[in-house]
Amino acid sequence: MTNNFKTILVPVDGSRCSKKALQRAIEIAHAFDSKIILLYVAEKSSINLLDRKEYMGMLRKFGKKTLDDAKLRAAKKGITAKSFLKEGRNIVSEIEKIAKSEKCDLVIVGNKGLGAITGFFLGSVSNKLAQHSNCSLLIIK
Amino acid sequence: MVIKTKKILVPLDGSKNSIRGLDMAIHLARQSQGVIVALSIKSVPGIYAIHPLGFLDFNTSKEMKKTLDDAKLRAAKKGIKLISKSLSGDPGYDIARFVNNKRNGIDLVVIGARGRSSAKELFLGSVSNYVLHKSKKPVLVVK
Repeated sequence: MTNNFKTILVPVDGSRCSKKALQRAIEIAHAFDSKIILLYVAEKSSINLLDRKEYMGMLRKFGKKTLDDAKLRAAKKGITAKSFLKEGRNIVSEIEKIAKSEKCDLVIVGNKGLGAITGFFLGSVSNKLAQHSNCSLLIIK
Repeated sequence: MVIKTKKILVPLDGSKNSIRGLDMAIHLARQSQGVIVALSIKSVPGIYAIHPLGFLDFNTSKEMKKTLDDAKLRAAKKGIKLISKSLSGDPGYDIARFVNNKRNGIDLVVIGARGRSSAKELFLGSVSNYVLHKSKKPVLVVK
């Protein structure tokens, strides 16, 4: 049987669950000899009109830090990861775009991110990905 | 390094998508030397659950048995042990309950994105969606 996990996309947002997802991605990458692609999407929100520039700057900085952190963790386990920092209004569509352009076979996400209600439910991003994406999705709980 | 997924649950309903899910599970199990648990659920509408004749639906029972046997054969060809289980009840609810039951010790659920109910092409199946939300274990949705 052919290896069907050649490239794994791991969208990170710095939350605990996304760290868990990365951990799992590293394990799978080890077992299947696959590449990891890290992605951070800075969300352009429409709320803060006045200080948008500053806000985006902060997000970008945070995203870079998160990506570097994730890359380091992957490197420790001997896996080189490619990382992307994107900006967009819609996080899910950005993730899908990358998944398509990099031909990812598997997307690994945590079940909830940094969204508002982090209690019981599946996060909005994970949920939308499950509904819309064209490639397989592993949701880490 | 071996993945820590020793016991993989694959809910089967006989659809093409669930077979794809099974293939993926077999692929994973080969890496981790795991065991696959195939679960087939006979959908019983709530009212029949208390009605004695509700269980006398032989056609679906036969179909379920065939699905499970096929799955067993498929796994055996690749050298994977497959334990088959069948239950009757509401598919989504019972899958989620099976997963969350600690005694079953499931590490991963592999599920096809859609099953056999209508509105097939566009959406994530209702059962997959339910399991996604309710399961406390990782879920792999195969598209």
